This record gives sequence, C-alpha cells and structure tokens, in this order.
Amino acid sequence: MKPKHVMVDLKGQARSFFRIKSNLFWVFAFPLLLIVIFGAIFSNMGVGTVTLKVQNLDEGAGSQELLVSLNQTGMVKLEFIDPSTDLDQYVKDNSLAHVMVIPANYSANLAANVTATVELRLDETVSTSGTVFNAVNGVVNAKNLRMAGGEVHIAIEVGSIVQKRFTFLDFFVPGIIGLTIMTTCVFNVQGTISRFRANGIFRKLATTPMTPFEWLLSRILWHLFISFLTLAVIMGFGILLYGMNMTINLAVILMIVAGSAMFSALGMIVARFVKNEETASMAANAITFPMMFLSGTFFQLELMPTYLQQVAAVLPLTYMSQGLRDAMVYDNQAGAYFNLAVVAVIGVVFVIVAVLITKWEEE
Amino acid sequence: METVIEVKGLIKRYGDLNAVNGIDLDVKAGEVYSILGPNGAGKTTSVEIMECLRMKTAGEVRILGFDIEKGQKEIRKRIGVLPQSFNAFDYLTVKENIEYFGGLFDRRIATDELIEAVQLQDKRDAWFTNLSGGLKQRVGVAIAMVNDPDLIFLDEPTTGLDPKARREVWEVIRKLKSRNKTVILTTHYMEEAEVLSDHVAIMNEGRFIAMGTPREIIDQYGSGNTCVVKGANAAAVEAVRSAGMIHEAKNGDLLVRMEDKGSLIKLVGLLSGAEVNYDEVLIKGSTLEDVFLKLTGKKLAEAEQ
Repeated sequence: MKPKHVMVDLKGQARSFFRIKSNLFWVFAFPLLLIVIFGAIFSNMGVGTVTLKVQNLDEGAGSQELLVSLNQTGMVKLEFIDPSTDLDQYVKDNSLAHVMVIPANYSANLAANVTATVELRLDETVSTSGTVFNAVNGVVNAKNLRMAGGEVHIAIEVGSIVQKRFTFLDFFVPGIIGLTIMTTCVFNVQGTISRFRANGIFRKLATTPMTPFEWLLSRILWHLFISFLTLAVIMGFGILLYGMNMTINLAVILMIVAGSAMFSALGMIVARFVKNEETASMAANAITFPMMFLSGTFFQLELMPTYLQQVAAVLPLTYMSQGLRDAMVYDNQAGAYFNLAVVAVIGVVFVIVAVLITKWEEE
Repeated sequence: METVIEVKGLIKRYGDLNAVNGIDLDVKAGEVYSILGPNGAGKTTSVEIMECLRMKTAGEVRILGFDIEKGQKEIRKRIGVLPQSFNAFDYLTVKENIEYFGGLFDRRIATDELIEAVQLQDKRDAWFTNLSGGLKQRVGVAIAMVNDPDLIFLDEPTTGLDPKARREVWEVIRKLKSRNKTVILTTHYMEEAEVLSDHVAIMNEGRFIAMGTPREIIDQYGSGNTCVVKGANAAAVEAVRSAGMIHEAKNGDLLVRMEDKGSLIKLVGLLSGAEVNYDEVLIKGSTLEDVFLKLTGKKLAEAEQ
C-alpha cells in the first residue's frame, strides 16, 4: 500500500466531484428540500391550529366576548363565514368538518338571563372534532361557572413527563443526515464503479502501479469527507433556520465514520455483483428505497405494524439514524453507542467483503 | 539490436475458444510493430497479455527482459498503455488527467512537455468529457507516455475516428518513434499499418498468418501490380482474354494483373487495337488489404462479420 497513490486519487476526486452537477444536488439540495418540505407538513400537526369556521349572526357584545375567550385557548384558529351565507351549502362546498353558529339572539338571551345557545356541527369521524368540542365546551363551562358566581374547587396542574419537548424536526433531521449519507455513498460508489468498468478507466488503471485496494481506500476516505460535509450542511441548516438544538460528540463522529464506510462498501458490493451498469443502478435503488421508508426516517418505528418493525430491525440505516438521534438530540449516550456498535460490525463486514471482491477487471 | 518483446507459443483459451492460438513475436527496440487484423482476430487479447492485464494460458512471454508473470510489477513501471476504447476522467481537465496518472509513477515526464508532445496546448484546461474522439486519443497517448516508458502499447488508437483525426493521431505516433520508443500498435486499418510500421504481423483467428516489413509482406503475398483500364469496352475485354492475361472485369473496369515486366508493354499493345476503346489507364500497387484478401479469401470488412 502506497499512501501516495491514495492521495493522487483523493486529489482527483476533490477536483472533479463538485464539477458534476448531480453531486451538488444529492449532497446539498436534496436533504435541504426534504427538511423544508417535511418540516412544513409535519410541524403543523398537533400544534393548536385546528381551524374552526364561525358564522356569527349575533351583533351583541356577548358573542364577541365568547369568541375572544375561544381564541385565547389557542386550541382553535377562528375563521368567519359571512352571516348572509347559506350555511348548509357552504359546509357542503367546503367539506367542513366543524362549524359553529352563534344565533342572532345570543347576546339578547344572555342579557335577559334566558339560556343562550351556540350551535356546533361536528363531523365525529374527524379526529380534530374532539379538539373543537373540548375548546368550545371549556370556554362555555368557564363562562357558566363565572355567571353562576361559582368558585374553582378543583384545579388541574399540567406538567410534562419529558424533560425537553421534542418536535418533529428533532426526530426528522438526524434521520435525514443518515439517509443522505446512505444515498450519496451507495449511489456514488456504485455509479463510479459501474461507469469506470464500462468506459475502460479500470482497464487503464490496471496498467498503472495503483492497486485496487488503494483505489477503494481512497473512495471510502473521500465519501467520509462528503459525509461530514453532509452532517455540517444539514446541522447548520437546522440550527440556523429552525433554531434546533443538536450536539456533536464522539458518538456522532464515530457513527458518521462507521456509517459512511458501511454504505460506501455496500455500493462497491452492489457494483461488483451486478455487472451491467443500468441493472446495478436499479439494484442500488432496490436496496436503498426500502431503507428510506422503513428505517424510521420519516415516521417513528412504533407507528408501523409489527412485521414492518421486524423488517426495520435488519436494515442498517435504522441503527445509523437512531444512533444519530440518540447522540445528537436525545442525549442518550447508551443508546447511541449500542447503535454505533451495530453499524460498526456491519460496516467492518461490508468493507472486508468489498476489499476481497474488488479487482480491476474480470478475467 | 536489443529485443524488447519475446513471445513464444502464446496461447489464450476461453473455455473451448482459442482466442490466441500459439503466436511467436520478436520486437526490437525502437521499432513500430503493428499487429493487424479484423475484430475478434485476437489482437487485443494478445497485447493485453503483454500489458499484464490478462493471464496467458500457455507459452512464454518476456517484456523488457522480465517474465510476464514474475516481473509484473517491474513491467508495469516501464511500459505505457493506451487501452482499447480509452477513457480518462470525464470531469478532470487534460492537465489534471495527465497529473493524475503521472502521480502514480515514480519516474515521470513533466505534464507540460507531454501536452506539447501531443499538441494539446490549447485544450490544456478543457474537461476530458468535452473533447472530440481524436483529442481524447491524444490525451491517451500523452498518459501512456507519462512514465517515460521504453515500450508503448497503442491498442486500436484510431478506431472510430474520422480520417482527419486519424491522421493527427498518426503524427503523434510518428513522434513517439522519433523519440526512440518501441511502439506496439494494433489496428484493423491496413493503411495505418502500412504507413506507420517497421514490421507488421497479420493476425486472423488467433494466429499470425504473415509477418515482416510491409514491403516484404506485399512482395511475398501481394498479387503484384494491377493495371486498371477504366471504361473498357467489350473488344478490350476480349483482346485481353484471348491474349491469355489474368484479368477481371468489374463495374465497367478491366483489372489486368502485371505478372512480369513484359505485361505492361503487352497490355499497351492490346489496348491499341482498332475496335478497342477505354477512358483511362492507371497502375495500382498491391496493398496489405490485397494480402489479407489473398491469405484469408475474405476482405477485412467481411472477416469482421
């Protein structure tokens, strides 16, 4: 092994890598797009933004007071329907799941000490209906209590059992780091080997003193660099744009090293066993695609059926993503090192296989 | 003269197929030696064994005095190779590609000197992927020279190039010769072998069917000079036929073999007959193409199918 040969190939990669536009896309644009898109979709869920359409036919102060209280709960977002609108038609046209009507006599009844009514129409099959009912019910109860001159005898004190509140992005972003490292390493390494075999570069390299092992080592090292770049870009993005709280520690660094080497070696294995260039790229897809969706990048594993969880348990990306999450966000060092151990073992096996099967050309 | 390549009874088998079927070769220092033949004749397999890219099945091969199996490492350091359908790194420039391969050898020629040798000064900073086929081959020759090798293999350096680009590559090959390099050239263009080489081996179906200088081969296997009488009328054909000259009438042309010194005078006499008419007369020498046809009964292009 001559370090000089490895350096020559590393230099070549450093010069050419970002001249290929698609590499820029996969390393930078793709992960950031995923974060922006999925961040936007999921961060709206579960945060007090159920929309409640209100048709207020009442012009008095009583209805205004009710709406202000309802708004203060933060559980619903109020939007108003013009009083002249045909409500039944409007509900149908807009497929509303919940709507509230304040009748014209609401304030008058309230002032006259006659029972005032608000009408709440709910679609019980929609999960947010419960939220709407609870919000309205709470406000109405509080008002009743106050008007009846009652006192609060039982109060609820709400506390959280988790020390930190984790958002969807806290869960999602470390997974995206793992996912991006997987796709970049597998596709790049497989693509390079298949291409170099087809266009004769390996035949040329075979006539030089460089050994296949030196070449392979250089490729693994280069993708290690790219993986750390991925980590830096995605972390920076999460911190700057979403104010996320992520830490770098030894476990994170070791996980990036192990995961990157593991996936680079996987790319080599795919390219060696599947000779045809196009078939090899399909094989790489076939291997990475299930991992994208089943390794708990987009959804928590607990939300998946048991048999899919069992599938996830044999996918290497599962451990890499979970380990990164444990180390970067959840501050769970024990979990991080367990996952690291799994990735390291798979990584070592893959790299050994890749070294053993790598040669310049088929006889 | 020093022997650079010594091959005795080289055989390469793939299963039942004998790709190379017992060839002998002796190449001296400083010459351009062409191995000529149709696709599938075994040229590339033969040179790839000499380049340490493939294992031989049997026979003896010595390159620059080293045994092909024991001396692989030493041989690799001392030879330069332009492989068949060569490609360098698409997204490195000409200069960067040469630097890359130069970096792999201990002994190396300066990049600028190589760029100049293949006349690519104005493409120095162009990406390899943006070069035309002929320019790519010249980069390949420059890379093959990067370790200042004594022996250079050029495996079909002009296949797929247009005639102009082909001539430009020829210029570069001539320069190699002027630098006293030994060049092994494989080609399926007869003209290329004739123009460039000191020695030629014609290969067909895994064997050498003729060897020597282009002149020797043409003299030995060629059909001599042929007189072409264009636009010959029936009386002309009849005159040649009745005089017993070897001939062939083709597309209105009459081809007459010049068997000996007297043949030309004899033909001119026949052509001055009263009824005889023709447009043009020219004399054509024999080419390697004719040799191949004569030796195999096939034209080169046919042999490739």
